[in-house]
Amino acid sequence: MEVRSEKKMWMVLVMVTLSLVGKISSLSVTVNELECVYEYVLYEGDTVSGNFVVVDHDIFWSSDHPGIDFTVTSPAGNVVQTLKGVSGDKFDFKAPRSGMYKFCFHNPYSTPETVSFYIHVGHIPNEHDLAKDEHLDPVNVKIAELREALESVTAEQKYLKARDTRHRHTNESTQKRVIFYTLGEYLLLSIASGLQVIYIRQLFSKSVGYNRV
Amino acid sequence: MAQNLTSRGRAVCSVLVLVVLVLFLTTNLVPVTEAIWLTIPTSGTKCVSEEIQNHVVVLADYYVVVDEAPQQYRTPTISVKVTSPYGNNLHHVENVTHGQFAFTTTESGSYLACFWLDGEHQEGVGATLNLDWRSGIAARDWDSVAKKQKVEGVELELIKLEGAVQAIHDNLNYLKDREAEMRQVSESTNSKVAWLSIMSLGVCIVVSALQLWHLKTYFRKKKLI
Repeated sequence: MEVRSEKKMWMVLVMVTLSLVGKISSLSVTVNELECVYEYVLYEGDTVSGNFVVVDHDIFWSSDHPGIDFTVTSPAGNVVQTLKGVSGDKFDFKAPRSGMYKFCFHNPYSTPETVSFYIHVGHIPNEHDLAKDEHLDPVNVKIAELREALESVTAEQKYLKARDTRHRHTNESTQKRVIFYTLGEYLLLSIASGLQVIYIRQLFSKSVGYNRV
Repeated sequence: MAQNLTSRGRAVCSVLVLVVLVLFLTTNLVPVTEAIWLTIPTSGTKCVSEEIQNHVVVLADYYVVVDEAPQQYRTPTISVKVTSPYGNNLHHVENVTHGQFAFTTTESGSYLACFWLDGEHQEGVGATLNLDWRSGIAARDWDSVAKKQKVEGVELELIKLEGAVQAIHDNLNYLKDREAEMRQVSESTNSKVAWLSIMSLGVCIVVSALQLWHLKTYFRKKKLI
């Protein structure tokens, strides 16, 4: 067991050194009923920000689906943030403690939905960190603030991109529906009128006098 | 559960110590590892996807998170498959506990990475996977840039910020192009709706005219009129 925890710590060290100013890209996951994503927050007081958009849904009448529920649970077990019945939103909170946070998407209906999400944990060194580490200049604080500001612009862009993807799906579905449904309508119209003609012919197929009996 | 919490607490402490050590070793700012944990179900696959444009570098590291629970005698092994939007297989391994893959996108679309547990895992408990997926600017190797341009510290941080601003600019252009494409689709749908509705009226009139003509000739032939 000691060997395993050593191996885990070694891997974490390798990850930390490999990825210095790491960011996560916006990933999409299919939510059947409940999907949870975990993200580690290193420092207490870090700002956790992100967004999610429900991108792909096979609902026929769009008013049917009420959206999905989103919950953030802190490592202590209490719910930090919750959003119910939305098809996409931004979220933002200050982490009350460090640890593993759980971000859950709950789909109340049985049709699977694809959710595109983005989570970012931002840390700005404060005076406490400056005092601890001699290598950190006050300019590093300003650079960290700049980096977080640029990061929020990037997060907004990812949100816009996900919403644009959802809109594009709707547009493409509308175009397909327009073409197929109108062509189907023409076909059904011709078939209905053909059936009408056949029926009328059948009505008159026997002689008129026979019907008068 | 209490065992998990104390072992987690120990892991958090050791991670913090390691981070402070790294802070002293390098002149960089706070290094933040941003990787997500996913739970892999006992049966079925867990897939994540991302819509990526052309000529983007994607880098990913993954490893199965080892639980301190005594029931698991061995680390569960997983299989990984990464596919491009046109179905090409980019990375496919079986029976591993960790690995990484990297590729440059040659087509724009949705790239899918799927993970599933191998058949021999019988315990009925899913596994937890740590996935560090980066694409675009986040996948850039700043160490080699620092060595090539011989910069370090604050200058390197500013170069990174400049890279981030350039990435924002490129993303904005990409969004603008996508919006233009979507606008074209919308406008074509608009004109199709108008054209097809008017044509439906035309089809109605033509079909009823054909009906009348056919019935008239039929009744004339049958000498009913």
